[in-house]
Amino acid sequence: MYSMAEIIIGIIQGLVIILLSPLITGIMRKTKARTQKRMGASVLQPYYDILKLIKKDEVVSDQSSWIFRICPWVNFVSLATAAFFIPLFLTYSPFGLAGDLLLVIGLFALARFFTMLASLDVASAFGGLGSSREMMYSALLEPALFLTIFIVALTHGGTNLSTLITAVSGATLLPHPQLIFAAIAMFVIVLGETGRLPFDNPSTHLELTMVHEAMILEYSGKSLALIEWSQAIKLLILLVLVVNIFVPWGISSSITILALGIGFVLLVAKISILATFIAYFESSIAKWRLFRIPDLVAVAIASSMIGIILYYIK
Amino acid sequence: MIENLSLFQLVVILFASGALLGLFSRNSRFTRILTFVPTMIGSFFTVIFSVSVILENPFQLIVPNLLPFINLEIKVDGIAAFFLLLISIVSFAVSLYSIGYSKEYEAKKRTSVFGFLFNIFILSMILVVASNNSFFFLIFWELMSLTSFFLVIYDHDKEENVKSGLTYLIMTHFGTAFIFASFLLGYIQTGSFSFDAFRNSSSSFPLLTKNLIFLFAFIGFGTKAGIVPLHIWLPQAHPSAPSNVSALMSAVMIKIGIYGIVRTVFDLSGFGLSPEYSWWGILMIAVGSVSAIIGVLYAVIEHDIKRALAFSSIENIGIILVGLGLSVVFASFNLTTLSALALIASMYHTMNHSVFKGLLFMGAGSVVYATHTRNMEHLGGLIKKMPWTALLFLIGTISIVGLPPFNGFISEWLIMQALLSSYQIPSIILQISIAFASLPFALTIGVAAATFVKLFGISFLSRPRSETIAKIKEVPRSMIAGMSILAAACILLGVLPFLGISVITSAFHISSQPINPFDAITLQNSFGKSFANLSMPVVVIMLLSVTIAIFGFIKVIGGKTKKITFSTWDCGFGNLNERMEYTGTSLSQPIRVVFKTLFKSHTQIQREFFGDHKYILRTLKVESFSKNIFEEKLYLPIISSSIFIFDKIRKIQTGKINAYLLYIMITIVLLLLFVRLSHNV
Repeated sequence: MYSMAEIIIGIIQGLVIILLSPLITGIMRKTKARTQKRMGASVLQPYYDILKLIKKDEVVSDQSSWIFRICPWVNFVSLATAAFFIPLFLTYSPFGLAGDLLLVIGLFALARFFTMLASLDVASAFGGLGSSREMMYSALLEPALFLTIFIVALTHGGTNLSTLITAVSGATLLPHPQLIFAAIAMFVIVLGETGRLPFDNPSTHLELTMVHEAMILEYSGKSLALIEWSQAIKLLILLVLVVNIFVPWGISSSITILALGIGFVLLVAKISILATFIAYFESSIAKWRLFRIPDLVAVAIASSMIGIILYYIK
Repeated sequence: MIENLSLFQLVVILFASGALLGLFSRNSRFTRILTFVPTMIGSFFTVIFSVSVILENPFQLIVPNLLPFINLEIKVDGIAAFFLLLISIVSFAVSLYSIGYSKEYEAKKRTSVFGFLFNIFILSMILVVASNNSFFFLIFWELMSLTSFFLVIYDHDKEENVKSGLTYLIMTHFGTAFIFASFLLGYIQTGSFSFDAFRNSSSSFPLLTKNLIFLFAFIGFGTKAGIVPLHIWLPQAHPSAPSNVSALMSAVMIKIGIYGIVRTVFDLSGFGLSPEYSWWGILMIAVGSVSAIIGVLYAVIEHDIKRALAFSSIENIGIILVGLGLSVVFASFNLTTLSALALIASMYHTMNHSVFKGLLFMGAGSVVYATHTRNMEHLGGLIKKMPWTALLFLIGTISIVGLPPFNGFISEWLIMQALLSSYQIPSIILQISIAFASLPFALTIGVAAATFVKLFGISFLSRPRSETIAKIKEVPRSMIAGMSILAAACILLGVLPFLGISVITSAFHISSQPINPFDAITLQNSFGKSFANLSMPVVVIMLLSVTIAIFGFIKVIGGKTKKITFSTWDCGFGNLNERMEYTGTSLSQPIRVVFKTLFKSHTQIQREFFGDHKYILRTLKVESFSKNIFEEKLYLPIISSSIFIFDKIRKIQTGKINAYLLYIMITIVLLLLFVRLSHNV
């Protein structure tokens, strides 16, 4: 069992993800703006947006039902709960006793399921359009994701995130070859799951290209704030997972102020670098045609299959 | 505590009386009460009976020489009791539901016949599971198949129903033939029809016999369970049957197929813990994966609610078989702990599927009851007219998709863990292939989410797509009560997985550490560390606390705000109507395009122009077709070639009496020769 201090640190880790997530979104937007030779808004802009939105009145579609109303709450609650399972700057989270990586994925799926339903609820063609595209993406990404988890879990001895990250942080500097392929697959998955280019353009409202934005088009006020925030949380969770699984160095394995401080600073630095890279990557490519996306996902699946073969044939 | 024997007799008597009361209370107002209330009481006592068997001792009953030289042997051990529990819980809920639902047929049909068949159907399922003698097993099996056939064609005014009933009848007998063959192999070895005889001596059967027993049983029971490519009857029979029957068939009857496979593999076939049996499991995993993926891909493009649910049953049977196959593979490599894990996973999914598929079929039945259509393109907006049905259907939907904290998640989580544990199999080829088998499994889960988003979203949400929806109202209370029982089970099995797991472990005599409600399900890796943990009660508490926290946060920071109701954003054009919504077909179009080889889908566009103007359309008709490649590529050739052969054979039927005399003469000569020659040898 865990001590009181550990449980408190665990809660803090979850809260940090929830509170830090808009900042990461802000950094990505800023990077995109700068690579496009714009000044861009401040990196704190997502915070201002959320604070502004939760004070605003809402417009709710007259066609909608309670599904539409609870969707933002389900989104936020499931993704924020998922945040508590993630070891952030400490190699374990006391909540790891209650749930593992597959539960985190399940909570993601819960949020997405309600978003897709809510988009159909408002009887607008946009919602259906976004929903049908999201259906395809999520269905195709699922096998890639599970195979990647397969590699990572087997290499490090578990889907229990505490076991996993502890094992990763103790690993030698020389990476296992299968993890390189897992990392390639994971990169594609992160782009797809968080609706980044070339899957989806988070900053567009053009019916030809939008996926996630089409689904949440009808939201305003508090509901929109919750949805935006939960998307930011999801993005940060996935980035943290990538960083802590593939570049774990510096993460603290004991509760001392110094180690935790170093862990935290290094983590923020690594996440910022990764976020900047993704944003830069996004700026350098265009959105792909919808039916070219399966090719990209196939690359991820193939890569993770190679990873599995490499794991077994040592 | 009542004796098990008297409980069992009571159950049989109750179902029989339900059947007879139904039959004799023709045209009476009370028919519905008289038929379904005994069923409910009978089911209730079956629940008690099976729980008492699971907790205490196996129940055995032998009626000697009921037929000449054949004893009626009844034996309910843990495995049978587990399946009895599923049958009885679902049939309790379904019969409660039926009290209201059969009003639908009261005006135009004889409900008395329905009540008779319904009771006999459930009773025959109970007896199939309970019988311990292959002869009586087959009799009850036939009874089950025939009563369900008559129930499928209950609405026989529609020609398509009769056609699908016929397909079902043929396929189920195809399966029965294989089960027959499997039992006969056992009979040849032991000289007895009793399962006890098989059980005691099966370990000394020759390997080939064991393999054949398994293979025949797998094909035979698999047909009933609906494995691909023998699934062809399932998407036809389930939609044709009245919805309470489809609920029973899909939730329970196809599980009897799974029961048969479990019974044969682990009990009767002489399966041993050695790698030479591992191909049994591999076959199950392969067939299971194919069934899962094919089932779900056909479900997602379907616009008939009940057909989509039927295809999803094929998918879930596939998932169950993947778990069962893993269990067999692990057992054959003597990895008993992992085998137990996979078996628990598979049985948990069996239980879950019974519960949520029963619920979903009843929900679909309520939709049909209220709207008289199964086509989701004509539905929409039901959530406002039928709030309870919608809520209960949503619970079933979330469960079947496998989302936390509902029950589907638990079993899928367990099966994923079983797949991950395949790294302990000491064979590199198997390790890699099972890892790759998780690919179709994961894809299935992904597409299943899409299927049910479509099913719920198109039928229950958004604007009604036809005018009839405006007039409908919520279904009767008994139907809602029936659905609520299973919905409660969905939540209970999801939030408190120790309930289901302890039922399975004690039914299958799996020794496991005692589970406290709040303890996590824990698996260990080879270093003795935790491989995976899951404690659903804690997760639910976390979800609730986060809900309260964020609710408070938003209210405190955001203050009071108004909600204004206004029409959906229409890009400023105005007059959005139901024809501008997304349809079910267009919703699944991306998936249909990605997997187009499977559907052979094509679109036909007919244009009519104004005179010579090539660009001004008068009418435009777009039709989209997708075919079932199994019917087309596998069954149609078989059917047409057998018709061809029979056409040729028919020529010997000349209609002249002397020709027939000649045939008889030839036959006798041949038989005499045969007898003579075989004596010499």
